[in-house]
Amino acid sequence: MTVSARINVHHLTRVEGHGNIVVNVTDGKIEKCEWQVPEAPRFFEAMVRGRHYSEVARITSRICGICSIGHTLASVKATENALGIQVTPQTLQLRALLKHAENFDSHVLHVYFLAAPDLLGAPSVFPLVASHGEVVARALRLKRLAHEWGSLIGGRTTHPTTAVPGGFASVPKPKELAALKERMLAAVPDLSETLATVSSLAGRVPAFDRPTEYIALSSDQDYGLYDGKIQSVMPDGAKERFEVAAYEQVTNEFMVPQSTAKYAKHKLASYAVGALARFNNNFAMLHPEAKKAAQTLGLKPICSNPYMNTVAQVVEIFESFHASLAIIDQLLRDGVREEPLVIPARYASGAGAVEVPRGILFHEYAFDTDGMCLRGNCIIPTNQNHANIQADFDRLVPQLVAARTAEKDMELALEMLVRAYDPCISCSTHYLDVTFVR
Amino acid sequence: MRYLIGLGNYTACDDAIGVRVVEYVAAHGLERGFRAVDLGANSLNLIAYLVPETTAILLVDAAEMGLPPGEWRFFAPDEVETRKAAAGRTTHEEDALQVLALARQAGESPPPILFLGIQPKEIRFEIGLSPELDARLPEYAAAAIARLLEL
Repeated sequence: MTVSARINVHHLTRVEGHGNIVVNVTDGKIEKCEWQVPEAPRFFEAMVRGRHYSEVARITSRICGICSIGHTLASVKATENALGIQVTPQTLQLRALLKHAENFDSHVLHVYFLAAPDLLGAPSVFPLVASHGEVVARALRLKRLAHEWGSLIGGRTTHPTTAVPGGFASVPKPKELAALKERMLAAVPDLSETLATVSSLAGRVPAFDRPTEYIALSSDQDYGLYDGKIQSVMPDGAKERFEVAAYEQVTNEFMVPQSTAKYAKHKLASYAVGALARFNNNFAMLHPEAKKAAQTLGLKPICSNPYMNTVAQVVEIFESFHASLAIIDQLLRDGVREEPLVIPARYASGAGAVEVPRGILFHEYAFDTDGMCLRGNCIIPTNQNHANIQADFDRLVPQLVAARTAEKDMELALEMLVRAYDPCISCSTHYLDVTFVR
Repeated sequence: MRYLIGLGNYTACDDAIGVRVVEYVAAHGLERGFRAVDLGANSLNLIAYLVPETTAILLVDAAEMGLPPGEWRFFAPDEVETRKAAAGRTTHEEDALQVLALARQAGESPPPILFLGIQPKEIRFEIGLSPELDARLPEYAAAAIARLLEL
């Protein structure tokens, strides 16, 4: 029997934004196999032009409702590099704590609300309330903790107000940090249960392997979520670092007919960013508790199964949790105090990068001598992954066809693959659409 | 604590009305007896406010209700049915009604919650409200605050 399939997943669910999967197979012959991203461009670069440097991060934080902390931090770092601003050690620690809050929050959302239904055989999180009520209740508790954590440091998690060029507009009080630590320690059992749940489902992660280039920020000081140099690790383990200022030599963006989003490539035809890319680049710098989690989950570098990105996110939940406890302890030892914002030393251009949940994020700006933005550039991680998702499709679909996979199972395998990348294609709308029943 | 929570995508024209109302309240120093919170398009974070310490929530959001642009209505969650599919759970597909339903199904007991739904005119990628909605921001803010303090 030869395989025929017509897969047309329009607006794939449980990914952030709109993407389509189109696969046509006739009598075993693959006629079309595409990951399509038909989202409209959003022109943020144009929106920041003519704005004062103090306003730019506030605007760019609106690029994404999930990664708004990351966009804020990438923006203030790029602005500070352009303006010759060196922030204080306390600012660096608070920003790292804020960055961890965002990654923890987003990973909890992805692992529990978007990926878990696949692994538990449910169409969404709703049916899991009946079948896995405690898992859903735990997800809600962890989500709540993450929001409180980010709100305390960032002012509000969705669009942080405290992280500004030159430092922090306001800082948390020591007693608030101590209370956060207590809240986090109370969540340790939920983390252990998270590990147990995902560990029990690890056998359901599809087996698929396609070596590729992995790119992430990398640092000799820590796991590199907030700061570092760009690092590439190749399938043979060879690593190379690049300055953030030279990011365009790494991203090499290009257009393809099937997508309005730009694609990216570096040493190979595509590369991957995100939790698995960070894990593969920076395993040695993980907190010991995160390393233990990786061992429990059977995740080792270099892992080239893209489905394991979700598992790498669980490892990073532990990284962010334990690294943050250490930062809080340090801040409480050193004392937290209000500091004046560091003022610009020059007006020029500069780039900044952070690791957002879905991978490395770049911002770059140029300012005139009045501090007004002349131009901006922003390269989001999901765009850097599109070419790699397509390359995975190109490898996976022939395997599925050769294995005579049924159309429905092929569709699920491709949906799960895209969801594993946790793509955030573009923020859409979420307005209420209601009928009155009373 | 009472909360006035605004929801919406800031860059999607009238979808941002909830966030804009909260912004207006904060900018005009009207935050008295409650806290104003901008949740942006991430309505799942509503979960963080469904705790015993919360005495009441008034959610401001764009709502397709078949009314003329800019018109508004208060409604409780059980007075409406969402027309959105419940298949996806992302910050894009969900709305606040679905988040509340999930919390209830998971055994949580949300505090008293009322919506201020505002009929959008246009939802497209653009920063800024339609003139019909923008002109009525003071009216929306006053109505929301008065009602929240009664809850």
